[in-house]
Formats: sequence, structure tokens, C-alpha cells
Amino acid sequence: MTRQIVLDDACWKDVEEGTEALLDRWLVAEGDAVKAGATVAVVVLVKTSIEVPAPADGVLERILVPAEGTFARSVPIGTLREAG
Amino acid sequence: MPVAEASIAEEHAWCAGVLAAPLAAPRWRVWRYRAPEIVLGCAQRALHEAAMRRAPRGVAVTVRPSGGGAVLAGPWMVGVTVVLPPGHALLGEGLVDSYRWLGELHAGVLAQAGIAARALDPRVQRPAPDAAGATGAAHAATAAGVRWACFGALSPWEVVAADGRKLTGLSQQRKRAGVAYSAGTLVARPDWRLLCEALGEPADAARLHALTAACEETPAAAGLDAAAWAERLDTALAARLDDGGPET
Repeated sequence: MTRQIVLDDACWKDVEEGTEALLDRWLVAEGDAVKAGATVAVVVLVKTSIEVPAPADGVLERILVPAEGTFARSVPIGTLREAG
Repeated sequence: MPVAEASIAEEHAWCAGVLAAPLAAPRWRVWRYRAPEIVLGCAQRALHEAAMRRAPRGVAVTVRPSGGGAVLAGPWMVGVTVVLPPGHALLGEGLVDSYRWLGELHAGVLAQAGIAARALDPRVQRPAPDAAGATGAAHAATAAGVRWACFGALSPWEVVAADGRKLTGLSQQRKRAGVAYSAGTLVARPDWRLLCEALGEPADAARLHALTAACEETPAAAGLDAAAWAERLDTALAARLDDGGPET
């Protein structure tokens, strides 16, 4: 099963419409195994660096937003192929 | 030791140490800086090498873990680091709201000393700095801002003087162990030319000057140096974070 990796929607509360977040860096590469809750990327929104956790145990399948790319609310930054 | 004179590296090391272990209560420190240092936001990492090359000998260039634009720390600035445990009440609802208490705390400390400062409420239309006292090109430049510099732009709950010029910048890093805030307040005027030349933007020095204020420019607060501001901020933090207690 493939899961999307998305910045928690709570982070976007009250953020000015049209604002995009910046993908600062990926801490894992496509094909790497990750544990649920482990930080896979760091993004920046409203002068805040935020760790994005893996939503489940699995393998980082695809990076959809590369480092230094920007993304809007609810946009998945990557996909994870769930273990098992 | 809630107030410390330190380098940026020492400040970052303290914060990283706090975030490395489970946190049960807020922790904070107030910082004074011995010497000029350039601090880039985490998303400005690509500028690091060039800034190091251009910076004057002896001026360190560091990348901080939080977001935002470049800062010139030094004896003219007082810094604050606050680390809150996950779920702490002061984190409020959402990212924008989480800055509110710290901006209002700084504005309150400045106001107590006679500075007509306010934290920028994002629900109210943000007034553009009018750069009172600035003339000509500097005045015209304020509308555009200087996006690469922390003090060249305004974000929610940052602190400005009555005329909209920036006094306190805020940033944050959110990790699993907790949320670390950084704040910097201009006690005196920084050497904006140094920062702008190191970042390869020498023409922005006049604009940064026009966009910013300093505590010492208010006559009622002119007698307060960085040490005095640090003590006042620490006292206010101790009162606000009373479920924690000062760093020892």
C-alpha cells in the first residue's frame, strides 16, 4: 500500500492564503527504509523549520517535491510504500 | 544561568542539547553576543560558502536550524531561546498563533521601558513601515522590503516600533522533542553594511537601515544597554514560563 507524505494540516492553520512551504532538505533517499515517526524531511513555513515524520514503516518510494522546491497546503511531498 | 554572553555556536549547541532529550518543562536562555556574527536561516544554506568568503576576517558565518532570513548578531542585539515541550499551552493553535505569546512578551518588555512597540497581529492589516525620519531612496525602499534579511521583512507577531520599523525578529524550529523559538531584539543599530556586503547585496544596506529601529533610539530607553535588556527579558520569561524555572 502506498501512503502519501504530507505536512500536517495543523501547521497551515491561519497561514496567509497563497503561502507555500519550502522543502529544505530530504533526510532519506528514494528506496531507503524508514520507521514510522522517523524524520524524513525538513520543511520551512512561516520562518519555522518543521520535521516531517514518516507516516508508517516502509520505504520512501518517490520524492515529489525536491529540496529547494515549494509546495502548497495538502500537497504530498513524497510517497511511502508501506512495509508488509 | 538564564542570561549568558555567548557565541552563536554556543547558543545553537545549548538549544540542540535541550532538544536532544525528552523535555518536561519549558527551558530558556537570554543571550548577549560578544562579537559580530552572521547567522543564516536554514533555507539559506547555499549562501554559506560565499558569505564566509566575503565576511571580514574574524566574523563567523553560521546556519541556524530555524527558518527566516539572515541576521547580524553582535553586541547590538539581545537573543532569546525558548524551548517548549510538545503540546505546551503556549504553542496555541497552529504555527502562526504559536508566535503570539513571544511577540507580545517582547513588545511588553519594550513598552515597559517607554518604547511604543507592538507585536504584529496578522488578523489586522499589516501597516507598511513608514520609515519616519528616512528620506528619499531609503523611504521609497521600505515598501519592497529586503526579503533575504530577517530584519528586512515582517512576519506575524514580530515586534515593530510605532512607525512600523522592525525591532524584534522571531523564528522557530519544530522537532519531535519540542519547539524551539529564537528571538533577536535590536538594542542598537547593527552594521548593516557588513551584513549586506557579506551576502553580496551591498545596495540593501540603506534599505535595511530604513526598515529597522533600535531600542536606544527612544530617549526613555537610551540608558539601557544589552545587559539591562537581557535581564528584563529574563524576568519576563521567568514570569511567563513559571511552570518551568530558569536554566541553572
